[in-house]
Amino acid sequence: MSQSNKELQNRFEMKTVLETSRMLIESRSSDFVLNNLLLIIMGKLLSAKAAVLFYDPIKKIYKIEKAKGLKNISEGDQVKISLKESQKNCSHITYNDFSDQLPKLAENMENSIFFPLRTSNQHIGFLFIGPKATQKPFAPHELEFAESLCIISSVALSNSLLFDELKNTNRKLDRRIHELNTLFDLSKEFNLLTDREKISSIFKFALLGQLFIRTFFLVYKTPDKNTLLASSGIKKSFDQQEIDTLFELCPTEVKAVDDHCYDKVESLETNQITNIIGISIQGEKVAVIGVGERLNKETYTETDFNFLKSLSNLAVVSIQKTFLLEERIDKERMEEELSIAKSIQRGLLPDPIPTIKGVDLAAQTISSREVGGDYFDIAETPDGSTIFAIGDVTGKGVPAAMLMANLQSMLHVLLPVDIGLNEATERINDLIFKNTPSDKFITFFWAKYFKDSNVFRYVNAGHNPPILLRDKSDQIEELTEGGLLLGAMETISPYDQTDIQLYSGDMIVCYTDGVNEAMNQHQEEFGEERLYELILNNRHLSSQDLMNKILSDVREFAKNKLGDDLTLLILKIN
Amino acid sequence: MKNFKINHRESSGLDVLDLHGELDAHTASQLEESLKLLINSNKSNIIVNCSELDYIASAGLGVFMAYIEDVRSSGGDIKLTNMNERVYNVFDLLGFPTLYDILEDEQDAVERFSNEN
Repeated sequence: MSQSNKELQNRFEMKTVLETSRMLIESRSSDFVLNNLLLIIMGKLLSAKAAVLFYDPIKKIYKIEKAKGLKNISEGDQVKISLKESQKNCSHITYNDFSDQLPKLAENMENSIFFPLRTSNQHIGFLFIGPKATQKPFAPHELEFAESLCIISSVALSNSLLFDELKNTNRKLDRRIHELNTLFDLSKEFNLLTDREKISSIFKFALLGQLFIRTFFLVYKTPDKNTLLASSGIKKSFDQQEIDTLFELCPTEVKAVDDHCYDKVESLETNQITNIIGISIQGEKVAVIGVGERLNKETYTETDFNFLKSLSNLAVVSIQKTFLLEERIDKERMEEELSIAKSIQRGLLPDPIPTIKGVDLAAQTISSREVGGDYFDIAETPDGSTIFAIGDVTGKGVPAAMLMANLQSMLHVLLPVDIGLNEATERINDLIFKNTPSDKFITFFWAKYFKDSNVFRYVNAGHNPPILLRDKSDQIEELTEGGLLLGAMETISPYDQTDIQLYSGDMIVCYTDGVNEAMNQHQEEFGEERLYELILNNRHLSSQDLMNKILSDVREFAKNKLGDDLTLLILKIN
Repeated sequence: MKNFKINHRESSGLDVLDLHGELDAHTASQLEESLKLLINSNKSNIIVNCSELDYIASAGLGVFMAYIEDVRSSGGDIKLTNMNERVYNVFDLLGFPTLYDILEDEQDAVERFSNEN
């Protein structure tokens, strides 16, 4: 080659290097850089085989990033290069010298060269160039040319790799922002929803869209049982036993599904669930979510799982909220019904207390709950007499109130019927026995008062004996005659009715066990003795005042904590 | 109320859904209804034209995820067309271009369907 030719060639090479370097540095795509780099060197060095290998410092292996004319390997393959660090710092490595340490990338590796790609502080990888088509070794100026290009490209590559990494980081950031938006959107949406189906459907779609999956399920602990709340792509549904086992099995963290899980819950395998996660709220496991593989085969990152947890948490809290809401609505409805029942029950009692000529009368009932099982009545019969009644149904609340209403209606049906008090008691007993469970009964006392003769005819069916206090006597008498309490058994022996003659100043006090069994904080009962004494000491009071005195004393004794319904009916003959 | 609307029309024997407005958690169920309706009447060549779609949230994307398998298993496809850049970015961000045909124009989708069948 003549001197001028050589010069021309040098200048040509210099120009190529300059132009290539400008193009490479301006480019931000490593793919573009690599492609050009390989093509230029292959053209210049007349080789049909070339590749770029990138070093993965974490796995300590090399990846074929770009390959041309190579049959044995393809892009993405991984190879090992076991050169020492110092050996990687030379300008080029001939395969012939290090054939043991270098990978065999082509059929014929003779005379092929590895050029290190590096910047001052980073080893990027190697550029591999196969043998010349002519099989001759490369000339020094050819190697020099390739070396120059490699140095320049390394900087460009390092830049574009950095750029790629930045792009990647930005994309990750965008995804995180999108995740946050999704969570924000959903929390807004869930707040407005009370429909569980709607919540679970929105949850499902957000999950599928955000994580790019098609198979998932969420098992949730409702107040009654563990149940499947939402799912997608499930081919074989989980039975109740599997759901319960799964719930037990899953820790409150991310768990990759293993053979043990598949053994225990077969549907996990059938549905190709790869990960399960237990969701806990305030330390209690409330849900288990399972997901299948992502459609783009990417593995789940920790942030993906965090998103999954947050989203599930949000959905579960919203679902819990709907249950609480329902409970509250139920409770409100119940309260409303009770308040209606209360006013109905109040309507069953005489109000106002009728006035009966020649009798000073007072009566009141106090329920420990909205409605109660105590009963009293004062009613006129067709023959002009008056019926006084007091009763106490076992138990409290609604069931007792219903039975009390039943008793009230029987009494009023029997009122105009011309039968004796004892016989009427018998009929009531038989009816109640027939119509109520055997553990429900009523203690009942009633009397017919003939105001012309002042005769007081009574039947006591197992009720706390009313007190008779005669004028000018300090002796309490108890009205005990009658028979068994109502509803316990069918009438075997007839009820006795007893007549007593009343005189002016005589007093009768009827009460239910809410009075004598009122309890103080030492678990002591108010008791009959205390009641008798109270009545004796206050016998001069009117019926109304005596009743108020008894009520206030009992209340004070029990510190206002009345455990049972309480009723008083007091009459005094003028 | 959010402004979201779906229009259904037929074009060259294919079913086209035109999406208008914002497709988010709140409106996703409307898209689900429309897709279900088509699938239940055995229409499986579906084009979703997004030219008037202003915004899409993950829940909106999820609806496509939930039904793509049903549609493909009956030999059809859902092809998405005419997205604005903002909407496309969301699809791209979550990896949809690897699984879904996302095309410039509705006509491209029509052609692709006719080549496939």
